[in-house]
This record gives sequence, structure tokens and C-alpha cells, in this order.
Amino acid sequence: MAAATDGRQDSPDAGGADEAEPDARFTFANERTFLALTRTALAFVVAGLAIVQLLPPFPGVPWGRRLLGVPLIVLGGVIAVVGYLQWSRNQQALRRGTAMPPSILPRVLSVTITAMAIVAAVVLLVSALLEH
Amino acid sequence: MAPPRDRKDPPPGLARERTRLAWSRTVIAFAAVGGALLKTSIAAGAIVVAMAVLLWVLFGIFPAAADGGARPTRLRLVAITVAGVSLVALAVAFLAHGA
Repeated sequence: MAAATDGRQDSPDAGGADEAEPDARFTFANERTFLALTRTALAFVVAGLAIVQLLPPFPGVPWGRRLLGVPLIVLGGVIAVVGYLQWSRNQQALRRGTAMPPSILPRVLSVTITAMAIVAAVVLLVSALLEH
Repeated sequence: MAPPRDRKDPPPGLARERTRLAWSRTVIAFAAVGGALLKTSIAAGAIVVAMAVLLWVLFGIFPAAADGGARPTRLRLVAITVAGVSLVALAVAFLAHGA
């Protein structure tokens, strides 16, 4: 195993001739980012489940709980898969010593959370109007 | 007072410990999802809790290789498991009756 000039080390696990095993701290940091995304995904799933199963029905809006809960559960699954793909791309960039690829997850998360907040507010307002 | 020593290459020991703790938090999150599923579907909840225990035994105790090498198989397994849990949660959301 030969040490590269930038701290990366040649490894039999590395895919190509220009790839080398990165510094262990970078590998650990990449893994922790993936685990943080995994916990975010699980939080979305459990939040969606709680909305669908634990909240009382919205008066006048019987489909309101599913409208709010199902997208959160779906987003949880999407985050898990995209998080793994992002980890894989990041690890490849670390091995090649190239720039880290940009991530779409922050934008997806912020847009989705904002949209869900708006939908939740609309459902609550419609429910309150129909109730009176 | 002497300034702190400039350590250009700190040892990865603390990074390994942080990663182990991150695995612990992830397993606890899995167990929480399993607990939430137990409320409506005992079978699905028990499966998810069992998966949480399995993940802890397999990966939480030994988070990474001694040399810090990447472990794509275990991370792929975690991602597939979370995607499966979300599918189970979707089924519960559509099939089970809520409060």
C-alpha cells in the first residue's frame, strides 16, 4: 500500500487506477452524513405515521390526515435511497481526489417541508371553515 | 500560556467514536419507528424493532474497519431497510384504521 501525496492511500478496494483510499476521517465523516440522512428519513416516516394513525380526523376533511402523512412517508423512502447514492458519489470523489458533487437533498428537503407546512395550514383552515 | 499545538493530522480515533455514536442514534431512530408501528400493526412493528436490534448487533458495535475503510454493503443494506420500512409504513397508512 503506497501513500499518495494528498493523504490518500492506494487500496485494493479502489476501483480505478486513479483512485485511492481516502483519509479515514473523511470516510467516517461521509458515513456520518449518510447516517444523519437516514435518521432524517426515519423521522419523516414516523411523522407521517403519527399523522395518519394518531391524529384525530379533521372535521369536514376526512382525507386530510393521509394528504399530510403519505407524502412525508414517501419522502422518507426517497431520502434513504438518495442519501445512499449521495454517499456513494461522495466516496468516489474522495477516492479520486476531485471536488465533491453538489447535493440536491437540501433543496428537496426545504421545498418539501415548506410545501407540507402550507398544505397543513390549508387543511386546518378548510377544516375550521367547514366545521362552523 | 502556550498556544494549542497545531495538529495537521489528528488521529481518527475520535472520528471513529463519533461514527459509532451516530450508528447508535440511527438504531434508536429505527427502534422508535418500530414502536410507532407497534401501535397499529404488531407484526410490522415487531419486524422493524427486530431489524433495529440486528443493525445494532451487526454495525453499531463495530461501526467501521480498523483502517476506516468504506463499507458500501452495510450502508446499502441500511438504505434498503429504510426504504422497506417506508413501504411498510405506507401500507399501514392506507390499510390500518387510525384514531
